[in-house]
Amino acid sequence: MKFGDLFQLSLENLWRTKLRSALTTLGVVIGIGVLVSMVSFGTGVQKNVTQGFLDNDLFTRLEVIPAKINLDDVMSGNIGDIEIPDEDTPPLDDEVVEKIRALPGVEVAFPEIRFPVRLKLGEREARTHLRAMPASMGAFKPFSEIAYGRFFESDGEGSIILSQKLLRNLKINLSDDDAPPPPTGWEPDEEMASLPSDSLIGREVEIFTSVLDQKGLARAFMMGVPPSPSRMPLREETVTLTVVGIQTTPGSFVSDRLQSGVLVPTETANGIPRLGFTSIWEVLGRDADAGGYPSLYVRVGAIQDLEPVREAIEEMGFGVIAIGDQLEEFKEDFLIMDALLGAVGIVALIVASLGIINTMVTSILERTREIGIMKAIGGSETDIRLIFFVEAATVGVLGGIFGLALGWGVTRLANVIANSYIRPAGVAPVDFFYVPVWLILGALAFAVLVSLLAGVYPAMRAARVDPVKALRHD
Amino acid sequence: MTPILRTIDLEKTYHKGSIDIPVLRGVTLDVNEGEFVTVAGRSGSGKSTLLNLIGGLDTATAGRIVVRGADLSEMDRRDLALHRRHTVGMIFQSFNLIASRTALENVTLALAFGEHPRSDRKSRAAEILSRVGLADRIDHTPGELSGGEAQRVAIARALANSPDILLADEPTGNLDSRTSEEIAALLRSLNDEERVTVIMVTHDEAMADAVSDRVLRLLDGRFVEEQTGGGAP
Ligand SMILES: Nc1ncnc2c1ncn2[C@@H]1O[C@H](COP(=O)(O)OP(=O)(O)OP(=O)(O)O)[C@@H](O)[C@H]1O
Ligand SMILES: [Mg+2]
Repeated sequence: MKFGDLFQLSLENLWRTKLRSALTTLGVVIGIGVLVSMVSFGTGVQKNVTQGFLDNDLFTRLEVIPAKINLDDVMSGNIGDIEIPDEDTPPLDDEVVEKIRALPGVEVAFPEIRFPVRLKLGEREARTHLRAMPASMGAFKPFSEIAYGRFFESDGEGSIILSQKLLRNLKINLSDDDAPPPPTGWEPDEEMASLPSDSLIGREVEIFTSVLDQKGLARAFMMGVPPSPSRMPLREETVTLTVVGIQTTPGSFVSDRLQSGVLVPTETANGIPRLGFTSIWEVLGRDADAGGYPSLYVRVGAIQDLEPVREAIEEMGFGVIAIGDQLEEFKEDFLIMDALLGAVGIVALIVASLGIINTMVTSILERTREIGIMKAIGGSETDIRLIFFVEAATVGVLGGIFGLALGWGVTRLANVIANSYIRPAGVAPVDFFYVPVWLILGALAFAVLVSLLAGVYPAMRAARVDPVKALRHD
Repeated sequence: MTPILRTIDLEKTYHKGSIDIPVLRGVTLDVNEGEFVTVAGRSGSGKSTLLNLIGGLDTATAGRIVVRGADLSEMDRRDLALHRRHTVGMIFQSFNLIASRTALENVTLALAFGEHPRSDRKSRAAEILSRVGLADRIDHTPGELSGGEAQRVAIARALANSPDILLADEPTGNLDSRTSEEIAALLRSLNDEERVTVIMVTHDEAMADAVSDRVLRLLDGRFVEEQTGGGAP
């Protein structure tokens, strides 16, 4: 028999038992639907995280900390193996920063300087953190792509870059058309002003910091009352800066620590009087640690520079944390996650394949005489086998197509729900699911493969039907 | 003249557990092209078994079946399927039509297995159905047909791929005597006009005598006597 005829015959057979065929197919539809939605969630997370890493240049940055800490030990809870920095550990001071800057492959190195401030824009006030940022960082993401205005041009300019999040705290909503929408659940109140970014850039803001009041301190000592840290005599200092840019944080799974708070050029930030904890210990006459920064930020030119630079810095006796070199591990973790998610779908498909086997064996029992007739009028075993095979494959193809549609529908729905409930504040809508082409083709192929496998036994059985027995009159 | 069909010392033994049930014990038979041969014998004598062996639905325990020079015992399952498809056409007591398909579709299915050109199948099926006297019933399903009409569809189906031999196993067994006569007469006319060789099994001695060229009697797995039928020219 020609394949076209076999195909037609199979479809006619399926059509004859519409309800049963539909229910059998539904099993595959659900199996594929579960598989597709599960795996697309896995790939979605992977895509979002990897994209977030790339967007933020996380693969080319590392952080230097005073101690050599083995991140694996920390994460595995193996605390005993962690080296606690001892007296000999060199401080992360400017000398170290210079040495690191000189390493081949290093493009930028600067210390982390960050302190709490009070910020005033006109009559509006908010608390935030101020972060010192060298102008050289303007060459790299995310600062190469400041949403409104510009990045710093020199380390000494009296500029400040605000964030959309801070503006919201100041009760200012950016009215620009391209501004990311506010987070769900965030409601504007009466004090809220809607302003375009142009009207904010160029304006002056006041930065307030607390410093130790030396006179008050001296007085306290003279009166024989040593100040406790909670009752320090403090005095407020003010600095005025000009807004040059506004950052937005578009939807991204990886939020960049460097983008938090407000940014001020390094030298300007260093010039802002402030209270450092080290200075408190100095004042209290303790044996001060020789200063040093809590951490350094280092950026290399290319991903392959990361490892040599990391080794060189570790030679100096410091600890290095690089997210980038964890990429391979991440990939492995994602693979495991995908496999686990996929396993759920595969179990659903196995159940569906049992449904196919059951339906087909039943239909062979019902159609035994028909199979005998087909053999008597010249049907070969190959013909009979193919008829049942094509029936199973058709169930698989239809199940695969409708299963893909179901899976897609489920992910769209789940995405809407997820975005309205679990989206972090201030982040634009994110697509939690990703259905790559390989998943579409793979799911279809898998549906057909599973159906064909399910069809093997029934088809063999049908082909083996003894026509003499099948045709013996009742 | 070489016979179109020849069985030589044909044996068929069924096994039930350790018990051997010899059904055919050396059947030798020559059938000439265009002959109408009837096989008679009491129930259980092995008539259906013989027809199934000739039809290639079953295989012999010993002996040979030679059809147009081809030995069935040397054929594999694929060749036997081709033998059933092109060389023989089978008709059964219980019609064995596919209930969900119309008369026309039952015939076109046989044409599809015979790889007859698709575009020509319907007209060919209609033509054969009108040849067996069913021109006005082609869109009826077996459930909507009388026994005689259903058997005519089965005959049309058996003829679809122009076989050399028609094998009819008690084709009138389920029919009343008048209808039986009509079906027997139809087979005889097909034998006369289309030159198709017919081997028919029946219990009806009178009918056998009336239509056949030759009547063979099976007893205990062997032919016991041979007589010339009244249908002989
Ligand atoms: N598969 C089998 N296993 C065991 N014995 C069988 C089998 N098929 C047929 N037989 C036996 O073979 C013998 C011949 O059967 P067959 O059907 O050929 O008889 P028959 O002459 O056609 O009878 P009837 O006139 O009733 O149709 C019977 O005794 C039957 O019981
Ligand atoms: Mg019989």
